[in-house]
Amino acid sequence: MQTLIQLGATALQIGAVYILFSLGLTLIFGVMRIVNFVHGHIFAVAALTVAYFLPSLVEGGLSAPIAYILASLAGIVAALGLGALIYLFGFRYFQRDLVGSFILSIGLVLLLDGVLLHVFGGAVRGVPEIFPGRVSIAGAQITVQRLFLCAVALVMAATLYWTLSHTKLGKALRAVSYDHEAAMMVGVPYSRIAFLGFMIASLLAAVAGVLLAPVTIVSPVIGTDYLIKGFIAVIIGGLGSVPGAILGSLFVASIETFGSYYLDSSYATLAIFGMVIIVLLFWPKGVLGRG
Amino acid sequence: MMIKTRLKTGTAIVALTGILATAAQAEEIIKLGLSVPLSGAAAVWGKGAEFLCETAAEEIRESGGVSVDGETYNFECLPYDNKYNAAEGTKVAQALLNREGVKFIGGSLGTAPVQALQSLAERQGVLVFTVAWGASLKGMDHPMTFTQMNTPGEILPLLIGYIADKYPEAKSVAMLNPNDATGQETEALGGKVWQENGVKVASSDFYERGTTEFQPIAARLASLNPAIIDLGATPPADAGAIFKELDVIGWSGVKVVEVGTGADGLKATGGGAAEGVYMGAGVTFDGDNVTDHQKAINDRAKAEIGESLNAVQIGFYDSLYALKAAMEMAGSVDPKAVAEVLPEVTFQSFYGQEVGFYGEELYGRNQQMRLPIIVTQVTDGVLVEVARLTP
Repeated sequence: MQTLIQLGATALQIGAVYILFSLGLTLIFGVMRIVNFVHGHIFAVAALTVAYFLPSLVEGGLSAPIAYILASLAGIVAALGLGALIYLFGFRYFQRDLVGSFILSIGLVLLLDGVLLHVFGGAVRGVPEIFPGRVSIAGAQITVQRLFLCAVALVMAATLYWTLSHTKLGKALRAVSYDHEAAMMVGVPYSRIAFLGFMIASLLAAVAGVLLAPVTIVSPVIGTDYLIKGFIAVIIGGLGSVPGAILGSLFVASIETFGSYYLDSSYATLAIFGMVIIVLLFWPKGVLGRG
Repeated sequence: MMIKTRLKTGTAIVALTGILATAAQAEEIIKLGLSVPLSGAAAVWGKGAEFLCETAAEEIRESGGVSVDGETYNFECLPYDNKYNAAEGTKVAQALLNREGVKFIGGSLGTAPVQALQSLAERQGVLVFTVAWGASLKGMDHPMTFTQMNTPGEILPLLIGYIADKYPEAKSVAMLNPNDATGQETEALGGKVWQENGVKVASSDFYERGTTEFQPIAARLASLNPAIIDLGATPPADAGAIFKELDVIGWSGVKVVEVGTGADGLKATGGGAAEGVYMGAGVTFDGDNVTDHQKAINDRAKAEIGESLNAVQIGFYDSLYALKAAMEMAGSVDPKAVAEVLPEVTFQSFYGQEVGFYGEELYGRNQQMRLPIIVTQVTDGVLVEVARLTP
């Protein structure tokens, strides 16, 4: 029982990260009907910026939490800047063009791979734990850092859900997602809404990046693994569906956790891809369909 | 008058041509391809390899270059990112051999990408140096391949024997390796040697390179309650992350990373959990035996790549001096002629001693540099040499 509780807690911790990641992917797909492979790089820029600035801020005499907040703000600004550039000079011209955006996306991935490698170097960077220590919840050992990550992920997911349900912007995003032409006919400024949707998704990736920097391996290629898992999550949950992204993320995290424990990490990875095949066979639009 | 002027002009042209020819002769370049990871968890190995190749090339240039049959040659390092996987390794091999036209591989890293490189290089008669761990890369079938660092065949029997002797009460080990050629070959030998030393292998798992969440893996390893956890060929950054997660769930025991190369990568992701880890491919630069030359280069490396040098990277320095010695002995820069004399040459290694090649008993031919096996341990956050064993 103790093992199950620990594994459940691990699945929730990993799932929290995937949720942040997949929410951005699903939002962009919902609003713009494009698949954004650059999402992982936006996430990587935020994490790398934190890893780059935090040590020097701490050496400069700031306390770790203050340095982390400042470095995180820099990371989020850098990631949003990259997101804005990508949108304004790229995806803006390929909205609702799956093939065009796919080609653009892959090109940008190659370009940014080189740029990040050149700017930050290939070596991994260490970010010290900002909130040291661990807590025991129902016997499961969880670090305070991971707990903080889960709490922020929960707040971000809840805020996004509330925003989509209760605000003018959220309603416009949903309207565009359902039928962008009809939305435009009733006065929804599609271009502005698409830009805001892209920037919200970039913000989610940036927040995931700064939250994960102290608990994972920060390198220019850090986004790839999360991008794949995020995509699998939204494919399982249903592209464009917010609840689907959350459900898919928790599902992927659970298979990864329990599969790695009871089988082998490599088999768990295979099992995740196996699940995608099964889901696509029986629910081609994902378990919850398109939102 | 006109004839005189023409003669002067002609003489000037001949003289200028001579000067240019001499300059061209002084700049004979031998391109050395490097197939190394320059991104990802193993990037620090690749960056250090590039640094040390360029360092050795510069030293050789400053000392007068490679003298072959009256000509002077210098080395140029061409590093390409193989991302530590076979697919990228194949692309790198194509680029180095077919686009760059290299005849010598100054060093290559990662069994899977090196296998891809080797198959193409052998067909084209290119001489390959490698630090890859795979025993499958060696032997009579690979006369153009030479190993520039200790590999599992040399390290594991001595490293595991040392740990088994030091912890006689530790009777079980859980192993984890990356799921590729490097990990599989390391795992096969590692498991055998642990058992030969009376340690039971409780489990032997694999994980995919690029994995970022190690909590489930750590939970499985800890659940077996092994006395020893051996992360085999796991890169330092991944190993640090795994030990950190093991620490969170309360596992404490003997920590081993057979291919462990340094404390910095481990500490970057593992923090305090890196403490006590034993490694088989690390090198320290703090002891009395360290030369000024080693210290100076290591200080430059730390400034450039952010980490101390290690055995993986040092091979990329040694291979250049081995090539220089072999080219001068053969009196040729033809890769086949150089490969024929390489097993006979000795050269001054970065480790400060004159070394040659051995390995006939194990691999069937002398293709392995005879280098010391340095057992290191992270102690108080610093890498400390705890034993120096001779293969």
